[in-house]
Parts: sequence; structure tokens; C-alpha cells
Amino acid sequence: MTWDAFFYFAIGAILLWGAGAALALKHYAKRLPAILTLAGLVVFFFFIATLWSSLERPPLRTMGETRLWYSFFLPVAGLLTYLRWNYRWILSFTTILSAVFIFVNILKPDIHNKVLMPALQSPWFAPHVIIYMFSYAILGAATLIAIYYLVRENRISDKSRMMLMTDNLVYAGTACITLGMLMGAIWAKEAWGHYWSWDPKETWAAATWIGYLLYIHYRMKRSSSHRTSMLLLLIAFILLQICWYGVNYLPSAKQSIHTYST
Amino acid sequence: MEHSSRKIWEQPWGYTEGFLFAIAIGLAGIILQLSTGQIEPVLFAFPVNSIIGALFLTGLLAVHLLAGKKSMVRWLSGVYATIPALVLLLVLSMILGLIPQQPQGTAKDLLPPNLFGRLGWYRMTTSWPFVLLCFYTLVILGLTTLRRTAQKQRWRDIGFYLNHLGLFIALLGGLLGSADMVRVTMSVQEGAVEWRSNNSSGETMELSLAIQLDSFLIEEYPPKLVIIEHETGKMLPASRPGSYMFDGVGKTTQLAGYRVEIIEYLPHAAVFRDSSFTNVVPMMMEGAAEAIRVKVSKPGLSQPKEGWVSNGSYLFPHSVLQIDDAISVAMPQQEVKRYSSHVTVYTEEGTTRQAVIEVNKPLSVEEWMIYQYSYDDAKGKYSDTSLFELVRDPWLKVVYTGIIMLLAGALFLFIAGPKKRRS
Repeated sequence: MTWDAFFYFAIGAILLWGAGAALALKHYAKRLPAILTLAGLVVFFFFIATLWSSLERPPLRTMGETRLWYSFFLPVAGLLTYLRWNYRWILSFTTILSAVFIFVNILKPDIHNKVLMPALQSPWFAPHVIIYMFSYAILGAATLIAIYYLVRENRISDKSRMMLMTDNLVYAGTACITLGMLMGAIWAKEAWGHYWSWDPKETWAAATWIGYLLYIHYRMKRSSSHRTSMLLLLIAFILLQICWYGVNYLPSAKQSIHTYST
Repeated sequence: MEHSSRKIWEQPWGYTEGFLFAIAIGLAGIILQLSTGQIEPVLFAFPVNSIIGALFLTGLLAVHLLAGKKSMVRWLSGVYATIPALVLLLVLSMILGLIPQQPQGTAKDLLPPNLFGRLGWYRMTTSWPFVLLCFYTLVILGLTTLRRTAQKQRWRDIGFYLNHLGLFIALLGGLLGSADMVRVTMSVQEGAVEWRSNNSSGETMELSLAIQLDSFLIEEYPPKLVIIEHETGKMLPASRPGSYMFDGVGKTTQLAGYRVEIIEYLPHAAVFRDSSFTNVVPMMMEGAAEAIRVKVSKPGLSQPKEGWVSNGSYLFPHSVLQIDDAISVAMPQQEVKRYSSHVTVYTEEGTTRQAVIEVNKPLSVEEWMIYQYSYDDAKGKYSDTSLFELVRDPWLKVVYTGIIMLLAGALFLFIAGPKKRRS
């Protein structure tokens, strides 16, 4: 299966996720929204798996391929949050955000070919990128909650419960970016000779990490303001976006050895 | 906030003092930077870095033991000091991530003579403000960890120690160890033995080991075909350039609206070309190029065009097939799939070791790690020269200890989640 089939699988998945999200909003019992979301994930992952086998390499090299995984992991994060915390709107949020990244991939498709440069031929390649994309999705869900909170602060009845949910997401997400970053460090030692070279991508990964550490530590104080906490999450997520793709547009980008798109 | 009735510098301290402290450290760094210039890592090479490390650890321990109960030390080992330090470190990291950095080897007078240059922003990681703030963060991190040892220990503290002590060890090891790290390159010809290497300033350095290059191999991906604008060489369609990777004779593909049929393929060919005529014949010898004979047609084109396309080699020119005045079929340089060096490594102790070195598979010999770095670009797949990078980092074990603790700490964080609060 090649990239040309993406459109059909993506639309199928979005319809299933959308149906699940709509039913969740309408107070359906959890089971049906969960099954629909899961079905969408199966459809989407089937495409990733077949793309993987047709490219004969993990589809994780280009920006478009990382967006593919991000679109997949967002509903995963949404589903886990929905099942654990019971917020009905989270599935709609993750579906919409996932659809945005899917449409970027449909409208501005990357060139996908079998080429995998020697630096990427490592057992660390797949876990490093997949765990990063998973953490980006979890932290994306946390950001959606932060936006929801900042917009509707006065209408939220149980604020501390929402903060607790956000804490849980950020802890899980930060744990995963830590794992991704350190796997990257060990891989960099094997591939480039040093575990940390302050390559622009690494620098922004460190900045993102500091951003989430700020949230975690700020929340330690009982007196901390919920609003400031949520604003910190927004800032951290902006840093994350710079690290993921924004870095390509910065003046420092020409020095980066983290560019594999073409 | 909660200390609104409190005057600044009045105990207990909060975020305000934290920011003032961190900014003061940053300013001290700027003054040092302006007066003494960039930090020269070589000045901190062993044993200086070990002495600094020992003094630093002793100092932290002494402060903890002698003044651990003092309110300032308690403040310094808490969130109010941590957050401002992290904020400033974040700001410097963002500058570091925005401004293109100059490599360590560049001479001072090559740096742009502006304010950024004087502040050390073109080489942030060896600038005083950055390094001082890192050490300030380490002080906080160290004191926080020590303070926790004085409390009643709970199972959750495992995660705390793994994360905080792990980061402390990795950061301190990385900071101090960077002065002892040696990176050199060594270029070896097939059949030759080499022990002289070059550092980033181009100085020659003799090593205690020698590398003999027994053979060097490059494997390439199959050749690709593209449609280009003849004048500019731009690949078409401009919005999303397409390419076709060779996949056997007789196949047909659509490229930028053209139907391209693969008629014949020569993996080893000699290409002769003048302004009007291209001839391609099989040739089994070094320097041979790959060539593909294609037939190109398009609705509206009077008759199909047929001819050879090749990306050439160091011996032969590349050759495109012109379809009309504007459009040609071309074969770009093939992408490298894999390159590897079969080597025999000799050490001064008289040990001999045979191994294959390739990208992502370095060889570890004594205190050196040997990496496949590059090869002779001009000769491409016929390169008989392999370029290695050799790296020595005596502090790697320290840093890896910290990294492994942090990895375990991250797993702990993922499973345990945030501390349950009593509401």
C-alpha cells in the first residue's frame, strides 16, 4: 500500500473517531464511544502497518510520517483520558486536533520513498521517534485541557479534579519525553560520537523538557495558581512545537544534523 | 501571592528572591564574560576538573551538614529557588537554539564583533553566564537531594532520588567531563596503516593505536529517474517533485505527466557523450557508471523519445535524455544505503583486532570509540579512502550512570504519576 491510499483510510478513521466523540458528548455509556474510537485506531494503524511494509523501513523519517503517528496517538491519549477521567469532551478535542494533522498530510503530502540514510539505520530509531510522538500526543491532550480551562475557567465546577487530571497527563507525557530524549542521547553516542552535541533539535528538546519541569515543580506548591499552571503548559507546548518542526524554520536550522525530510 | 505582606529579602523567601538570585548569577556571568572572554575548556582538563568536582561535592555536603537547617539553605533546596533558575536556563537555551553556534575551533576574531558575540551567545555552552547558571542549578539540585535524605524515607522517594540524583550525576559529569573529551579524525587508504589523526584545529596527533583499512565498501540504493526542467535543473512537478526508483527492466511509470518505460539497464557502463550523441556500452571495471535506457511518451508528443540516462561517475559524465526544448529525463546521484570499513586495529600493547566499522556500529578499542565518519566523496562508491572519527571520553561512565538512573526515574514517574494530594 502506498501513500495514495492514505486519504481513504484517514477519512474512514476520522468518521469513526468523530462518531465516537459525538456519542461521548451525548452522554452515551462509555462502551460504544470507546469501541468506535478503537475501530478508527485499527483502521488508521492498518494503514501505518502497510505503509511500513511497502517502504521496507519504519515510516518515521519525514515530517509527514511523524505527523502520521501523531494523528494516531492523539485519539489514543484521548481515549485513555476519557476512560480514566470521564470527561466527555476530550474525544472531540483529540479528534479535531488529529484531523488537523491528517489534513496537513493530505494537502501537503511529503515524498515517501524507501531511502533510509545510514545514520537512521539503528534499533533506536523506531522507539526514539515513536515514544516522542506518543508523548507529544499526551502533552497535546494536556494542552487541549489547558485551553479549555483558560477559556471556561469560571464555568468549571471541580477545578482541582481537572488539575489532577492535567497533572497525570503531564507526568506521563514528561516521563515519555525523558525516555525519548535519553534514548536519543544513547543513540547519538553510537551514531555521532557524543551523547549531547547541542544540535538545534537537541537544544529545543532540552527547552521543552525544562518547560514541563517548570509546570511539575510549580504545581508542587499548594499555593500555586491554576491559571499560571495552565499558561505554563501552553508555553511548554509551544516549545514542543518548535522542537518538532518549528526548528526547521529557525536561523540555527542549517547546522542541524537532525534533518531527514528530503 | 502568598507572601504579599512580606517585604523583599524578609524571611521566608519566595519566588522574588529566587529570580533576583538567578539574575545576579547571570549578571556575574556577564561580567566575567566581558572581562575574561569565553571559557577555554582545555584549561579545565584533568586534573583541574576532578579537583573542581571534588571541591563542589565537598562544599555541598558541608553546607548541608553545617547549615542545612538555616532558612536560606532550606529556601535554596526548594521550589522557590528551582523555578527561577530553570526559567533563566530556559531563556539561555532558547537563545542557544535560535542563534547559529560557531564551532569550538573557530578563532576569536572570526566571531561577529557585535554585542551577542561579546555576551558569548555564538558559543553559548562555553559562555560564563550559561555555565554559572548550570552550576547554580546543580547547587539547588544537590542541596534538594541532600535535604530529602534528612526526611523520613517513603517508597515514592525512590523516584525522587533516581530523577534528581541521576540528573545531578549526568549534568555534573557532562559539564566537567567535556574538558577531557578528545575527538579526532583519521583518514585511511585501502591497504594502508595509519596512526596519525587530526583534531578540529587541524593539528596532527599521534595515537597509541593504528588502523589498517583492509577494505571499504559502499552499497547504494537503486538509481532513480526524475523529470527536470532542462534550463534550471529543477525537478518536476515543482510543487511535489516526483521520482521513480529503478525496479527492474520492462516496468513503466508515470512521472510529471510523462509515461516512462524502462527498456534496458546496465549496472556497469561506459558513457561517451558529445553535444549531439550519447553512446553507452557495458564495461566491467572500476569507475563504471550505471545507465538506464528509457522510452518516454506523452499524449501530444509526436513520437516517443528513447535513449540512455546516467548519473555518471568520477570517470564518466552524467547524461540526460532531452524530450523537448524544456524537459529532460535525468538520474540524480544515488543515495548511499550503507558504507562499512573492514579494519585491523593494532594497539601499542601488541593486541590485534579485526572488525567491521559502519555508521551506528562503532568499534571500542581501549579508551577509544572508532566511528565510521565519511569517505572520499569525489570517487563516490569507488572510494578507496575511509574517514574515521575517534572519540575518547573518560567521563562517559559517570554520565551513563546518571542517564540510566534518569531512565529508571522516568519509568517510575510514568507508573506512579503525581503524588496524591489530600484535598
